[in-house]
Amino acid sequence: MLRIALKGILGRKARLVLTSLAVILGTAFLSGTAVFSATLNRTFDNLFSDVFRNVDSYVRSTQVIEADFGAEERQRIPAELIAMIEAVPGVGDVQADIQAFARIIGKDGQPLGSDGAGPPTFGSVGEEFQGALWTISEGRFAAGPTEVVLDEASAKAGKFALNDKVKVVAQAGSREFTLVGIAGYGDVRSPGGATFALFDLATAQEFLAKPGFVDAILISGDGSASDEELAQAINAAIPSSYKTETLTGAQITQETQDQIGSALSFFSILLSTFSYIALGVGSFVIYNVFSISAAQRQRENALLRAIGASKKQVTRALMIESVVVGLFGSTIGFFAGIGLSKGLSALLKAAGIDLPSGDLVVPSSAVINTIVVGLIVTVASAWLPARRAGKVPPLAAMRETAIEVVALTRRRTIFGLVLIALGAASIIAVTNGVSNKWLGLGILFVFSGTITLGPVIARPVALLLGKPAEKFRGVTGTMARQNSARNPKRTSRTASPVLIGVALVTAVAALAASISSQIDGVFTQQFKGDYAINTNARGFGGLSPSLADDINALPEVERATGIGLLTVRIDGRGQNLTTINPATVDGVFDLGLTSGSYADLTPETIFVSQQYAENNNAKLGDTIAVTLADAQVKSLSIAGIYEFDELAGKYTVSRDLTKDTTVITFDLGVYIKVKSGVSAESARTALQAAVDKYGQGTLLSKREYIDSQSGQINQLLGLIYGLLFLSVIIAVVGIIITLLLSVFERQREIGLLRAVGMTKSQVRTTVRWESVITSLLGAVVGIVLGVGLGWVIVYALRDQGLSSFSVPVGTTLSILIMAFVVGVLAAVYPAWRATRVNLLAAITTA
Amino acid sequence: MNNPSAATATNVSKIYGHGDSEVRALDNVSVQFETGKFTAIMGPSGSGKSTLMHCMAGLDEMTAGSVTIADIDIASLKDKDLTKLRRDKIGFVFQSFNLVPTLSADENIRLPLLLGNNKGNEEWIQKVINTVHLQDRLTHRPSELSGGQQQRVAVARALASEPAIIFADEPTGNLDSTTGNEILSFMRKAVDELGQTIVMVTHDPVSASYADRIVFLKDGKIAGELLEPTPELVLDYMKKLGH
Repeated sequence: MLRIALKGILGRKARLVLTSLAVILGTAFLSGTAVFSATLNRTFDNLFSDVFRNVDSYVRSTQVIEADFGAEERQRIPAELIAMIEAVPGVGDVQADIQAFARIIGKDGQPLGSDGAGPPTFGSVGEEFQGALWTISEGRFAAGPTEVVLDEASAKAGKFALNDKVKVVAQAGSREFTLVGIAGYGDVRSPGGATFALFDLATAQEFLAKPGFVDAILISGDGSASDEELAQAINAAIPSSYKTETLTGAQITQETQDQIGSALSFFSILLSTFSYIALGVGSFVIYNVFSISAAQRQRENALLRAIGASKKQVTRALMIESVVVGLFGSTIGFFAGIGLSKGLSALLKAAGIDLPSGDLVVPSSAVINTIVVGLIVTVASAWLPARRAGKVPPLAAMRETAIEVVALTRRRTIFGLVLIALGAASIIAVTNGVSNKWLGLGILFVFSGTITLGPVIARPVALLLGKPAEKFRGVTGTMARQNSARNPKRTSRTASPVLIGVALVTAVAALAASISSQIDGVFTQQFKGDYAINTNARGFGGLSPSLADDINALPEVERATGIGLLTVRIDGRGQNLTTINPATVDGVFDLGLTSGSYADLTPETIFVSQQYAENNNAKLGDTIAVTLADAQVKSLSIAGIYEFDELAGKYTVSRDLTKDTTVITFDLGVYIKVKSGVSAESARTALQAAVDKYGQGTLLSKREYIDSQSGQINQLLGLIYGLLFLSVIIAVVGIIITLLLSVFERQREIGLLRAVGMTKSQVRTTVRWESVITSLLGAVVGIVLGVGLGWVIVYALRDQGLSSFSVPVGTTLSILIMAFVVGVLAAVYPAWRATRVNLLAAITTA
Repeated sequence: MNNPSAATATNVSKIYGHGDSEVRALDNVSVQFETGKFTAIMGPSGSGKSTLMHCMAGLDEMTAGSVTIADIDIASLKDKDLTKLRRDKIGFVFQSFNLVPTLSADENIRLPLLLGNNKGNEEWIQKVINTVHLQDRLTHRPSELSGGQQQRVAVARALASEPAIIFADEPTGNLDSTTGNEILSFMRKAVDELGQTIVMVTHDPVSASYADRIVFLKDGKIAGELLEPTPELVLDYMKKLGH
């Protein structure tokens, strides 16, 4: 039987190629993402061991505040420690490091780096040092308050040459420097796409941070002591009141590698999630191809049965074929994945994220994982068709044509309906107060139920969707419509990958639309001004607080106020506080105060949200202990309670809270109300001039601002769409394969039609419309499921403050148009094949 | 129709292969099929009778010679025009697999008209449907019809567009003799009552005897002709040809 199976495979190479194609695509994404992640990890590891090569010890503060999303804010240490460390025996060279927000302004006045979700923009110290992080590639390091060095990528992006004037915006404002050097970080032009402006230590302290403080101190030894001994000696030399720790070079390297590793692991998990979705979609295609090819070989299998092969042997022959296809496909898929990972790097590079270059890392786990998973998926997908093939009665050998048997059992309908009912019941249970966990189960049941019901609904829905084709395309349309409905099982299996992809896209779009409309509502409620200055530098740097003050002084402006963010520790946990200027906030940005007034907010007081007050039984006059990033503890008494907490969160403080500390605050937005009678034009001109002076932030009208806030979610959307695109490709390939096999199966019919007068272009039309109907079938059912899924997700997030659900009408329409286009495109090759049918052979074969 | 000949083949040859393996399926065949007549083409298997039909109907390319259908020289036509010629001027009845399974009997009958976006002559179509007794089967799908009924639909389709000529390739080959005779009577009626022109390929003397004239083929050449045949005459003639 093995011989027969192998001969069967080799005898029909085209079928082998088609079947393998589905396996190849599914596994290529799997191995591609694995190789990409491994390569990225390894390259970053190498980069940091290279960068810290000559760093033997590393001194920093032990005071850290963890904020959301794994971000942390480490306290600065006094610069006087440098002299202390230099005196320690065994110390060779010492270098203080500062890393803070700084933005390089390009020659066109626009900041370098994307003003959004792109990599961060840093200012740092670059000086001659044995253990230097930076190596000068052109010119020299900066010396004195007017000189700057840029990283290679930024210099290139800004078209800066040595001796050019470069404007940089940082904590202390906006200044112009002379470019004296260009530097690289390890062997990278810029680490991870971030921009760097490098200064000497004194300038960095004053311009980027606070005079007298540094972020960390790097030490390279003189060789007389081991790294461990050196670290101990340094630690012993620093009084414990400074709250510092000393790490060896190996430790800081390891820690940095681990940090990057965990940041990358989120990315890897995201990538592999989508590659598994793609594989799941691919398994439908594999299952479909095996089903069709088993059906087309019905006569052959029946003949084998007639001459004495047992059911088991026929089944086994097909299983052997699936093993061969699985191995063959996933091996090719594995290599295709390596190519894909290179493509992924190129794509990121094109998007401005310059990843360190490194040799491709192919972990053995990726090899094994890809091939094993590919094999299992293929064999599992082939199992049902193989069993069905074994059940073919020997008599079928004598039947004239081998068309897939279509028997829609009542059992299937009942089973599908029961699954959907169970799913609906779980979801309804959650809306009545049961734990959110049941939602996941509910979704799973509804999806499985719909896929089970697929063949039952495929016929009526396909016939309905085909109505326009029949109306506009006459008899070719009729035939397309009937063809898409003639084998509902096949049609639904072909449409399922489209369905899954569309459902996921629709759900994500529904979530995004809901978030957008909510953001829109919130801003409209709270923002009472006419203009806003926006920065997208979330959590890292932002607008200088003096920008709001400058704008307040403009004659066209009635009032302007800045809103910022401050990371502190409350009850041992990192928290983000909103900072406002109580003197200017009233009438421009509304917190919805229910008690207290803005005048009550002083450096000694705090406002809390009504929600917080209720949850914690807090009332006016209660005190909250807030630990600032410099370890100062402030005891603030509650002086006001506000209602609108969607933007402000639980706590709001005065921006003066940090006035006499080393903690730096930025504004994330400035909100402006212009005087009545000032024309929009003159207001804009005056405001834009103020913004230009700082070289940072975008001036937007109220409407523009609200749109940009709600539009931010679209960036995330783009990424998810990109990843789901993989599944769409597989779905398209699935349609192509099915159509090809169907065309093959209907050779005689096509031959007959050609004989009685169907032109080639009419043949193509028929295939094209069948394809479009199938694609639309998947899209329509997918949209229905996706909107439901989106609603469930929004409902599950109701505790996170998401209260309204919106149907993504625009996206839904684009999906339908896309599905149409996909149908047309998928039909191109099969339609061409259909016109190549040998007319004579088709009508004369008895 | 002024031309007494609905289809004419002049010096048609069809050669497969080259050199030693060359096979002459048709060797310099010239034949005319008269308008309004029922002609049968007979001959042993391999005699080239089906090939002749395919070449004359524009289904297969000839190696040499010319064919005119309704005064049109088909050798000069491109695929698209040839397809339209088949649709508008020629009717077909094949031995099996004659109908599109997804279309109803009525749609199958009108298929060439529908493909040409042509309403056709409704009176004529009704007449055709009545002649083959399909009035109460029109909404059925082919799978719901018996073999004989399916062939009746095929005959009706061949007639529906009032073609210049109908080619039938062993139309009764898959039917029992009663049903087969029924189909042949319909074809006879189509010629006698509806004035159609039919060319039928067959190897069965009884079927051939329904025709007005029989053309015999042997080894790719015309081997003889018989007018006003009866089954006995046909058998005798075949013996004479050395069957």
